[in-house]
Amino acid sequence: MLMPPFELHHPQSVEDACVIAAGLLEAGEEFDWVAGGTDLIPNYKWHINTKPHVISLAKIAGIDSISLTEIGCMARLHDLAEGGNAHPLVAEAASKVASSLIRRNATLGGNLCLDTRCFWYNQTEEWRSSIDWCHKCDCGTGSDCRVIPNQNELCVATYQGDIAPTLMVLNATAHLIGPNGPRNVLVNEFYQLDGMTRNILQPGEFMLKVTLPDDVEDWIGAYRKLRVRESWDFPEAGAAAAWKKGDRSTLRVATTALESIPRRHDEEVAISNGDVKAICNAIYDSTKPVNNTALPPRYRRNMIKILVKRACEE
Amino acid sequence: MTDGYVQQPGSNTDVRVDGKRVAGKIKFNPPGSGGSRPEMADRDMDFIPEVEGGNESQPAGQHLHDKYRTGTSVGKRTPLVDGNAKVTGQAWYGDDVRLPNEIIGRIVRSPHHYAKVKSIDTSKAEALPGVLAVSTGADAPQRFGVLPVTKDEHAMAVEKVRHVGDLVACVAAIDEPTAREAAALIEVEYEVLDAVHDPKKGLLDVDDPIHWRGQYHIGSTNVQKRVFQEFGDRSKLEQARATHHGKWKFMGVNHGFTEPHAVVAHWDSNGRLQLYTPQQVPHYAHRALATVLDVPMHQVNVIRTFVGGGFGGKSDPFPHEMCAAILARKAGRPVRITFDREEVFWVNRGRHPSHIEVQMFADEDARISGFEIDALIDGGGFASFGHVTSYYNGVLATAPYELGSFHYTGARVWTNKPASGAMRGHGAVNTRCAIEVGMDDLAEKLQVDPIDLRLANLLPPHSKTITGFRITSNGMRQALERVREGSQWDSKFRKLPLGKGIGIGCGFFISGSGLPIHWDPNKFPHATVHIQIDMDGGVTVHTGAADIGQGSTTAIAQVVAEVLALPLEMIHVRSHESDTSPVDLGSYSSRVTFMNANAAISAALEIREQLVDAASGILDMPAEYLILNDRRIYSKRDPAIGVSYLEALHKSQEDKGALIASGAYRTPPMGGVHKGAAAGLAPAYSFSAYVAEVDVDVETGLIKCTDVWAAHDCGKALNPLAVEGQIIGSCHMGLGQVLSEQMVYGRTGHLQNPNLLDYKIPSVHEMPNVTPIIIESCDPEGPFGAKEAGEGPLLPILPAVVNAVYDAIGIRINDLPLTPDKVWAAIAKKMKREDIAEAQDLPTPRLDFSELQQKIVQRSSQHGGRDSRRQRSEDTDPYINGVLFGFDPTVPPEDQDGDWKIAVRPTSEQLEGLGLAGSAWTKIEQRKMEDGK
Repeated sequence: MLMPPFELHHPQSVEDACVIAAGLLEAGEEFDWVAGGTDLIPNYKWHINTKPHVISLAKIAGIDSISLTEIGCMARLHDLAEGGNAHPLVAEAASKVASSLIRRNATLGGNLCLDTRCFWYNQTEEWRSSIDWCHKCDCGTGSDCRVIPNQNELCVATYQGDIAPTLMVLNATAHLIGPNGPRNVLVNEFYQLDGMTRNILQPGEFMLKVTLPDDVEDWIGAYRKLRVRESWDFPEAGAAAAWKKGDRSTLRVATTALESIPRRHDEEVAISNGDVKAICNAIYDSTKPVNNTALPPRYRRNMIKILVKRACEE
Repeated sequence: MTDGYVQQPGSNTDVRVDGKRVAGKIKFNPPGSGGSRPEMADRDMDFIPEVEGGNESQPAGQHLHDKYRTGTSVGKRTPLVDGNAKVTGQAWYGDDVRLPNEIIGRIVRSPHHYAKVKSIDTSKAEALPGVLAVSTGADAPQRFGVLPVTKDEHAMAVEKVRHVGDLVACVAAIDEPTAREAAALIEVEYEVLDAVHDPKKGLLDVDDPIHWRGQYHIGSTNVQKRVFQEFGDRSKLEQARATHHGKWKFMGVNHGFTEPHAVVAHWDSNGRLQLYTPQQVPHYAHRALATVLDVPMHQVNVIRTFVGGGFGGKSDPFPHEMCAAILARKAGRPVRITFDREEVFWVNRGRHPSHIEVQMFADEDARISGFEIDALIDGGGFASFGHVTSYYNGVLATAPYELGSFHYTGARVWTNKPASGAMRGHGAVNTRCAIEVGMDDLAEKLQVDPIDLRLANLLPPHSKTITGFRITSNGMRQALERVREGSQWDSKFRKLPLGKGIGIGCGFFISGSGLPIHWDPNKFPHATVHIQIDMDGGVTVHTGAADIGQGSTTAIAQVVAEVLALPLEMIHVRSHESDTSPVDLGSYSSRVTFMNANAAISAALEIREQLVDAASGILDMPAEYLILNDRRIYSKRDPAIGVSYLEALHKSQEDKGALIASGAYRTPPMGGVHKGAAAGLAPAYSFSAYVAEVDVDVETGLIKCTDVWAAHDCGKALNPLAVEGQIIGSCHMGLGQVLSEQMVYGRTGHLQNPNLLDYKIPSVHEMPNVTPIIIESCDPEGPFGAKEAGEGPLLPILPAVVNAVYDAIGIRINDLPLTPDKVWAAIAKKMKREDIAEAQDLPTPRLDFSELQQKIVQRSSQHGGRDSRRQRSEDTDPYINGVLFGFDPTVPPEDQDGDWKIAVRPTSEQLEGLGLAGSAWTKIEQRKMEDGK
């Protein structure tokens, strides 16, 4: 399992990082950002969409802070889960990511920007050559999607991050930065179809931090994750719910691992008048997982009703 | 009783009358240390059997080896002797071998399921700077295979590739990137053929079968092996009081060992091949290498590295071992090949994906009037151990229960997948699961307790199964009784609330295969062990037994230590090289403790005799008055009269130097004469019973196994620590197969999860609390009474969990693994069928005893007395399967009942009614076609 050679850049500051990115963009060189590396490195080992340059955020000081209202992109999931400073809902989701070993390295930024996953795609180069590739990594062959053949536009790889839905229901804001300066966007609006686009990050941009509203400590909720094993596994489906203490009318629900992006279900909640069962059914109706993770889509879709119900339990 | 040694013979004084030193009479200390503790320890009477005057109780009777017990090591919780090397990182596994000048080999694999190799162009790869050797199938035309009867593998594809990942060519280069680049430059032209993925399709005639066996080929199908066995009287099945019918699907599972395959091949300066490989069975690799490389066996030295887990997955000779050797020969430099995890899945040899159908019948007395089993197993691209697996799927279900009849049809088919092979519990696991779930269902239909039903139908110790296997010791009854008690079964079974369940399962497994597959057991032993002791007193034991983490080295060291009454640290087991190890069949079929420890005991006894003779001479005391204890040999009556081990050793070394002894083990003659009678034949069998408790989330279908009470009869625990480790490890492995592990082949036939993220081995969070319970039935032929504990303990966990799930939710699911989606779908189906709105309202099964319950309790109580007497050899009357049905054990049942059959081929009338696998018998062998058919 050898990665192809790439040049690793180590900016010491955010400004440095932007300068390096701008330089590479200008030179027409492709690159990836790397934070903890727990997502990128396995993909590189499998030769999936590797780039000649990688910019690491690891040496930039001060971007791993954790407080109730602000979390830096390099904050380790272990510290989020165990440190006692993050919102309990975010900590709960972080504690359910992968294994303790991976949480020590993995970061919030990396988890939010996680590459989408698909069992036709997350395979070695040799394996993917045996299916003649797929369009998320077609190696120049113009291959078709293997999940839903005969359509070559949409990538249906699944977003399997755990933390995004909790930040969505807490109404967090993502702070992005790049050669063109900073900009802020609600986490709820950060993700963008499809499985290849994944999010609104522009070339050269990276997520610097996430802020949560000032009243976030008044919000409570839960995150429920479906997985076969209580360690290692990515979510097969996940649901987060949050509401302001004592005021169920503020209920927000978001799901993950069902589609190419995590989604907040404001519309489904609105039409259900606070009836949890109705919310579950509405989300069930509006979600359509595909067959590209360990468990079959019909099951995952049905489970979202149970997960949402359990996340909404007071 | 000398106090040291002198340089010259003569007077022992070294001081002259005038007080000066006598010339040439320098005293020096005797060589050897005799161990790290200066004082002899007391005899440990707690580990000396009652019959020898010790405190170790012998409920299962006495043993031939009792008189050699010294209280030194046997029966004591002993950390494995190679444990230090492993935890300090000094153990050298396959990929730890580094030879000077070594280069890296890489294998080119097929991207197609099934294709003819039309041409291979290696010129670009050869031209790449840094590439030192390239090889293709043309370099190694000889076929090999683990079983002599089914040699169907090549080092690399000669004509066809048979699955995605099959070997086509290989390259060696100065480093891994170059080797990978070169591999990508090899151009192969294929003609793609129609692949077979579904084993059911493997039964059909096709244009181009995956292998061609000439006149022995069955039709033009992909059937590699078919088996038919019929024993007993099936005429009474129609009057059954209860019947069970189970149609099962088992997904294939992989061993999932920690260490991927790795090999280093080096042709030394004398032109001999030194091959380093983590092998369970170095001897078969040795044979195959000699064949494929076309060199005599003595020109090959197979060096078994430490093995990072085997479980059956490292017991075949492997094509990559040949590739490394071929590349090394071409390049003139050592070649190393290390697998990625994906390659481990390509080479596979895991448990066969199987379709198994069982029908089981119980009569009005709750006796088992018949088992009817049909097993279609998916062999993948090669035969591997499949010939044996085809038998095991049936014949290993013939005990521990006494049967009125037994009918088995089995077939193994080739498909275009990585080859299936032997995996822990070889061939027995899936059928056992089906059978034990069937027993649960029969009990429910008879309205009796399933443990009592089992207890009332057990074969006793020293009996014969329906197919003629000779059972010696048998701790099945105690195992059942102990788990019943430990789990508080009677207060839980069919009484727990919805979502909570408890279940029982039993196991039966061979302790060593009775037939060494490469030679006649009457001419050559199964196992040979050499012992050598030189002046330093350290005992070197040479054995070919491959320690694959199961602790075979420790077990052999322990029995030698026990016989010679020496501390374990003085026993040095050498088992890595075929140059120094006696030929051994290796670590499979749970044979090592039984066979190698027996051979080691026999060699150690030879040494013991020499030592005792020497001591007897020095002490001028008859040998029978002497006992051995902790580095001393002394008088039974007065421990002060004795000699040290070293003194006795040096005395016995006089005039000949090092003491050398050789011990061997061979199985006694046994078994029937019908075709296939040797399959499943073993010198002893292990028995086990587990109770599992589960929590089922009825809304999500997620199963959590919370507790397991695991009783295993290993005859005698030479090392209880290791036995418990095997039991707990088996639980983990079996839980994987029953709950989450599966090799998933997608709609295109590709293996979708060849990595350890998606191939879901349970994590520590999924592990239940396991209470290991060791049952000691004292096997008369086992070393100090021991039998196997490495594979049998895996069997019961599967059915115990499946039965517990039924107890929890009232649904039987016959499709493993029980992933949450399957459980949820089954619950949803039942809710729909029975019009239940909420999963929380599902009914749970309850038990009202029928009049049979009392009857079987009475019967099992009588049998309990019988079994205890037979176990202790107080009752030595013959017992054959059939006595429960009124047969006379001294006369073969076929002579007592005209309807009693022994058949290994179906009659033409039977052909139509055979099951899925049985339908393979409707095809005609090629050689019989030529006879005009």
